[in-house]
Amino acid sequence: MDDPPPPEGTNIDGESPRTEPMIETDEATITDDAELERTLGLSGGLAIGIGTMIGAGIFVFPGLAAGRAGPAAAASFAIGAVVALLVALPASELATAMPKSGGGYYFISRGLGTLAGAVVGLSLWFGLVFATAFYLVGFGYYAVDTLAELGVAIGEGLVIPLALLFGAGFIVLNVTGTENAAKLQNGIVALLLSILFVFLAYGGLDAVGLVGEPTAPEQFAPFGTMPILTTAALVFTSYLGFAQVATVAGEMKDPGRNLPLAMVGSVLIVGVLYVATIFVATSAFGSEQLAGFGETAMVEVGRHYLGAAGAFAIVFGGLLATMSSANASVLSTSRAIYAVSKDALLPQGASRINLRYGTPHVALGMAGGPILVLTATGRVELLAEVASFLHLLMYGLLCVALIALRRDEPEWYDPDFRVPGYPVVPVLGALASFALIGFMQPTSQLVGIGIMIVTAGWYVYYARDVELKGSL
Amino acid sequence: MTRILVPLAVLKGESVSAGLTALLEPMNVTVLGYHVLPEQTTPDQARLQYEARATDALEDLAAEFGANEGTADYRLVFTHDRKQTFDRIAAETRSKVYAIPGATGPVDRLLVALTGDVAVEQIVSFVAELIGDREIDVTLFLATDDEPAGRGLLETAAAPLADRGIDVRTELAVDEPPLEALLEATVGHDAVVMGERAPSLLTLAFGEDAERVAAESVGPVLVVRNVEEDGSENEG
Repeated sequence: MDDPPPPEGTNIDGESPRTEPMIETDEATITDDAELERTLGLSGGLAIGIGTMIGAGIFVFPGLAAGRAGPAAAASFAIGAVVALLVALPASELATAMPKSGGGYYFISRGLGTLAGAVVGLSLWFGLVFATAFYLVGFGYYAVDTLAELGVAIGEGLVIPLALLFGAGFIVLNVTGTENAAKLQNGIVALLLSILFVFLAYGGLDAVGLVGEPTAPEQFAPFGTMPILTTAALVFTSYLGFAQVATVAGEMKDPGRNLPLAMVGSVLIVGVLYVATIFVATSAFGSEQLAGFGETAMVEVGRHYLGAAGAFAIVFGGLLATMSSANASVLSTSRAIYAVSKDALLPQGASRINLRYGTPHVALGMAGGPILVLTATGRVELLAEVASFLHLLMYGLLCVALIALRRDEPEWYDPDFRVPGYPVVPVLGALASFALIGFMQPTSQLVGIGIMIVTAGWYVYYARDVELKGSL
Repeated sequence: MTRILVPLAVLKGESVSAGLTALLEPMNVTVLGYHVLPEQTTPDQARLQYEARATDALEDLAAEFGANEGTADYRLVFTHDRKQTFDRIAAETRSKVYAIPGATGPVDRLLVALTGDVAVEQIVSFVAELIGDREIDVTLFLATDDEPAGRGLLETAAAPLADRGIDVRTELAVDEPPLEALLEATVGHDAVVMGERAPSLLTLAFGEDAERVAAESVGPVLVVRNVEEDGSENEG
């Protein structure tokens, strides 16, 4: 597999992008002097994708989304799934052509040049930070509910302190922990899927009236169609995980096969689960009542169908799911920072690792600090939307990068997987990504645009002379 | 000639003792320098930072094994999964044996364990090749609960070695826990040669036999891999 042409130029500190010829095989990346083992299989990739996504979509959003769009929130999740799929396909093609760490950032910087790359790469860092903060706040709600289920009512006032405490401990663990948690993550995802499957199967039978008591039907879209779209923009955070798969593309075995399967597969699996969950949840309660339950509405849904055991299973699942989302995002964040600093868009010290633990402590700190600050705000919807904004920006540009590369295919461009339905799929993917941003709340849009401007400013100040695109 | 893989965690300061270098000197050796990273870290990140340092160390090590005569080379791998890396490099270099380095002086006496479902012929012919015409004595060790069959196996295995003028002793442990008996037998020996066995539940819980032997006996352990006759891999 060929590489894009080497980047050129230096940043303001006089550092230049560090690249050297690499040969990618299915099992390893081979450089002049060393080899980098590819250790993630398909199940590992799916676990990262599903593990990142499932926490938000199932365990945090149902109440909020139903409150906004009624039972039609199921349609919002379906729209999100379609948009995610439209982007996951082009992302898969780019990832098989360039199976490197950094994912979306790498593709865009090589396809569209340094400015777009810098904005996306740095925005991805912040996007992941916002997303992680959002998962941590979700975790806080579940921690409080877990205590409540155990008979310790401490009230919602402690949600944020608990989230902060856990978040801080979690970042320290990431710096000092040398145990490989990948297998644990696979196990957690498998356990979550089993809990959900039992719950959805039973709830689904109940909801269509085969078991249990019939419930009063509710109007499908009580608030009209506009809320369906704005809700889709809100809940899109539940679909960010497939891009996290791309950030570990450099470590995936047999990337030509496993990357597309992991990205597209995880979107399909969680999409179906989300739609089913909303259906089951809105069949159990009216959407107004669901909204009243807030972030942990699913606990009440579990109680409704399966009694105390159901409530406990959902609380436990919610803790696991928000934790695994946060964990997967932190892993991606350090890779995102590494990818931009390797290309001299950030000081290269940012990607230093320490020999004692072998962990990138600087990058983890650059992720952890802002994560805790944002967690402290506790603004679930804002955090979710800004995270989605910054990811959608990357998704849209990723589709544009694919079109740019395809229109004048450079010699090194040789993907194992090609998007079906080119150019319709990437064009729709780009349009849908940018359109979804338009349906967000104005505050989220302002914060997102602010971050874009700051990152573009950083590029002009710090790395104007770095040339990443090479001659196409 | 048989190739021996010597995996070393170079960046953790792992090295080979003079005794092991001398023992393996006549063979083809691939030094596998590896560095295991936690999943927070991309292997590439560690490569950028440590490649030069690791390469320096590996060049020196390979030279000790005879890189200048063309009988030794080295590979450097950054990985999340040690076992996967060992298996891949062993297959790519067609190494039939790998070494777990330990501390030892000059090797005068080898303990060769034939216990269990291992390829006895391969192990014996490797030992013969390793020793060549050097003054190294051998103890063949077997733990079994079938005494007559065990004695027969030891005699058959000892014959070709004795024919080559090697001083062979045999030691049979009957109805004893195999691993403990082997560990007792290592006393008075400078290095151990043993076969690779199929992974079992016990190896999952306690690690591979060879690693336990290496840890408890302190000395180096050479493990003859379970490779099919035609040279293709026994993928597990």
